[in-house]
Amino acid sequence: MSHWDSTLLKRGMRNHAFSVLTAILVLTILLVDSRSAAALPIPGTSMRAIPAFARKYGMPCSSCHQAWPMLSPFGQAFKDNGYQLGNERDAPIYQNPAYWPVTFRMTTFWHRENENRAQVDDPTSTTGGQIEGNLTTHGFDWSGLDFHTGGTLAKNVSFYVLPSSDNTGAFHFETVFARLDNVAGTSWLNIKLGKFELDNLLSEKRILTLTNVSGVYTNYHFQPATENNGLNPAFPLFSFGIGDNQDGLEIMGHSKDDRTRYSASILSSNDGTPNLPTSRTYDGFFTVSQAFQVGSLGLQRVGAFDYIGQAPTYFQFTEGNNSGIPGNAAFGLPGTGIGNRRFYRAGLIGQFYIKKYDLTAMYFHSSDDKYLATGTPFNPAYGTLPTGAQNAIWNGALFESHYTPSPQFILIQRVELVRMSQQALPIVPGTPYTPGVSVPSLSFGNENVYTFGGRYYPFISSRAGFAFHGEYAFSHQIGTSPVTGQNLDFSSLLFGFDFAF
Amino acid sequence: MRKMNLAKCLTGIAVLLVAPLVLTAQQGESHIGKLTGNAGTGKQLYFRYCWGCHGFRGDGNGENWLPTGNYPNGPNLNIQPRNFVAATFKCRSTPTGTLPTDEDVYNSLGRGLTNSNMPSWITLTNQNRADLVAFIKTLSERWKTEKAGAEINVPAEPAPTVQSIQHGKELFTKLECWKCHGPEGRGDGPSASTLTDSNDQPIRPYNFAGGSRFKCGTTNHDLYKIFMTGLDGTPMPSFADVIKPEDAWDLVHYLRTLQVSRKSPELALWEGTKEGAEIVKAQKVRGTPTGSGVNQ
Amino acid sequence: MRGKYKQVLLLAVVVVVSASMLTSARPSGGSVSGKITYEGTPAKQKPIDMSKEPSCAKQYTTPPTTETVVTGPNNALENVVVYISAGAPDEAAPGKAAVFTQKGCRYLPHVLAFQVNQELNVMNDDQTSHNIHPLAKINREWNKSQPPGSPPIVDKYDKAEMIPVKCNIHPWMHGTFAVLKNSHYAISGEDGSFTLPNLPPGKYTVTAFHESYGDQSQEVTISGSESKTVSFTFKAKPY
Repeated sequence: MSHWDSTLLKRGMRNHAFSVLTAILVLTILLVDSRSAAALPIPGTSMRAIPAFARKYGMPCSSCHQAWPMLSPFGQAFKDNGYQLGNERDAPIYQNPAYWPVTFRMTTFWHRENENRAQVDDPTSTTGGQIEGNLTTHGFDWSGLDFHTGGTLAKNVSFYVLPSSDNTGAFHFETVFARLDNVAGTSWLNIKLGKFELDNLLSEKRILTLTNVSGVYTNYHFQPATENNGLNPAFPLFSFGIGDNQDGLEIMGHSKDDRTRYSASILSSNDGTPNLPTSRTYDGFFTVSQAFQVGSLGLQRVGAFDYIGQAPTYFQFTEGNNSGIPGNAAFGLPGTGIGNRRFYRAGLIGQFYIKKYDLTAMYFHSSDDKYLATGTPFNPAYGTLPTGAQNAIWNGALFESHYTPSPQFILIQRVELVRMSQQALPIVPGTPYTPGVSVPSLSFGNENVYTFGGRYYPFISSRAGFAFHGEYAFSHQIGTSPVTGQNLDFSSLLFGFDFAF
Repeated sequence: MRKMNLAKCLTGIAVLLVAPLVLTAQQGESHIGKLTGNAGTGKQLYFRYCWGCHGFRGDGNGENWLPTGNYPNGPNLNIQPRNFVAATFKCRSTPTGTLPTDEDVYNSLGRGLTNSNMPSWITLTNQNRADLVAFIKTLSERWKTEKAGAEINVPAEPAPTVQSIQHGKELFTKLECWKCHGPEGRGDGPSASTLTDSNDQPIRPYNFAGGSRFKCGTTNHDLYKIFMTGLDGTPMPSFADVIKPEDAWDLVHYLRTLQVSRKSPELALWEGTKEGAEIVKAQKVRGTPTGSGVNQ
Repeated sequence: MRGKYKQVLLLAVVVVVSASMLTSARPSGGSVSGKITYEGTPAKQKPIDMSKEPSCAKQYTTPPTTETVVTGPNNALENVVVYISAGAPDEAAPGKAAVFTQKGCRYLPHVLAFQVNQELNVMNDDQTSHNIHPLAKINREWNKSQPPGSPPIVDKYDKAEMIPVKCNIHPWMHGTFAVLKNSHYAISGEDGSFTLPNLPPGKYTVTAFHESYGDQSQEVTISGSESKTVSFTFKAKPY
């Protein structure tokens, strides 16, 4: 997903929902202005589906993937074991010198996007007035290119490097790590250093859906609608998603059969961006899960995760440029962010198999500190908390089910729900959302996302992957339409070819 | 009368309906402990996980097997995947030339075969592995006409002693294990380079100094079974007719001392003797690490 | 009643016995004989390097050659199994065991023919270990070690098959087990000749099998006690 998302993140758009909104706004502007399409954001597919591994081991995609890019338990174990089968034949010394562990992945498609209340210029206004308009776009398109390289450097030393581009060809590093596997001869200790996806059992990098609305898990990126309101110029960007690849050190372990798994990570509080743009603090992420067999139904897994993070609310030093604004974050010296405030993302996950049906259910409980949630520096010199500000607290749920009648076909259905349980700003019913002052209701910013799709793989081989992809996704947000504060709906329809080689 | 007829009729229909179910249930089953594998489910699993190497017909001619040995991406399949149509299996608890037990095949799936491309499928459920065994058994006519061999008797293992190791060492020489496995068990005996498997593909004898796993397991019990049953389809013969059980355990104890990179009671005992300490020290000579993890 | 049956039985026995005496007195039916030859240049047989097995090497003043193609004068081809592949009924195995001996790191005979379910004895006359590895495809494949002084390996095969035999320890040792359904078989000698005697009248398929050149078949009909001549010519390849 990365190239799309991170491009937007760099531009300061933190919230996934707002990213979608922005994407469509930008699209509108470009279409209206007929300018260069260079900045057009398009959903990407930085996901792992690695024919390089299939080629190395001669196994079909379906061995490791229930339906690529989604892993099977065997594939998960292969990954947890450091991309090794464990038969003393994993080291590169056993490969033909000509073998190059590289896989490309790309998607070409037609898509249709609709937003029911987009912010548009009022054609009848002579004073630059704005109204909301129903906006639909459609046409042919393509994703960015993912350039997966990964494998082993030696027995029990693995690596993964993923340069990933947006669809203009601008690359960034989505994943960069090396890992010491089976340290001291035990599968219970593996050490990874670099930028990597968090040990999420439901991997966003292996998501089966591709549209603008459902190309990421909403719950993995949700930030309350009151955040990053841009009111205080001293407040640096606060952006976080457990779906984002993070920079850090991970220790993980698993039983030989991968039924029991744990991981503990220490991560830079920079949400995966390079060059320490704000923080010199660290976050922690912890997971544990256990799978068990239930007769002929399959493998059932339950687990829990907790991300404990902190983020700076202003810069200790700015670069001395006299901007006339105290502590202006635009000139903050990278890595000197202080006034750290806490946030957390915790949850439970269950993955249940009933033969060819499977269901993943997740529960999320999250909170952002009131300073983060209202965009206020934790320093009276730079700003004061809005009256009545509280920590933002919300709950989320995710239900994703699959029907996989054969390795060649999968039907996907997903429902995601986000419900605020405590708003950062006081609730003033009847008054539209006023940034930094009040919200109209407890439900302001709540979101529902529904997705339905299918993927058909006309062939399965150990050399390349190809899928026909069809998907429809719909999201519904409470009270976030840009002008009138009504409910905001997005829908996205996509048909295409997804291929890796 | 009418009622009777109806009852008979219903019984007849019931028998007709149930009979095929019973028949299909009997064909294509595997039994491992309390598990009963189903070949139908196993077939679906086979065509997800196995066919890439073992082929659509189960004859070991998957899309990655090139008999020329000319692999575009390296010798990842330098041992031909098992041919389930021939139904010749390396890892058995049954005499050479006989079919393995269901449990033997089941254990091979869970364990994987070291130094080959066959991984461990321990991540699948036990039920799924049993299902795969049931399907594998439908791929060869042999399973219809033959029964699995009788499991060989493995007597209780006596405790290793220096004497048993020394006797095992004599047997290693006398039985000419070294012709293939090399005088130090490094897989470099005089015949090693000439060995071919039953498909005329080159095959290497096991290098005891390199690893801690054997082809068919890790325990002393597994090692005993390997040379008493032979690895069918490979040059490794059965010694069942020529080694007495007590001698076999002595050989097991000696073979353990050849695994110098793995700690074992046998190795500790052997290193405690002057003779053994010198041999083991010479065995442990190392060069520059290759990162392969196995000194082949 | 009883007495009458006894008489009938006695009569029957007399008839059967006299009939069998008659047949054994005269040759039973005809025979097929002939000669196996090759055309072209057969592969040159190379001397075997037994230096890795001194106990065998010292038994030879000049090293023996390989035996993939053994020829005699006038293009005669040796070691060809000639047998009735169709037309003759399957026969029960004879009581006598077929013996296959390992001596001087060679197989004696190089080609051993025997019947389905006939006992096979494998002997090791050498002072070294061999492993006997018949690469059966239809029958079950086994592989057994036989150190010096071991008792014979006793086995039998229950299906007809041409089985290559090898010793993995001594890679030059190759032989063939020809497991056949009936007793009408012969192995061509140094002059390439063979005879299949005692064939009752009937229509037969005669097949000749050579380990390097595969098999050929011919139809032959025998009436009375005639002797038919059937010859086979294999195309030899120089490699």
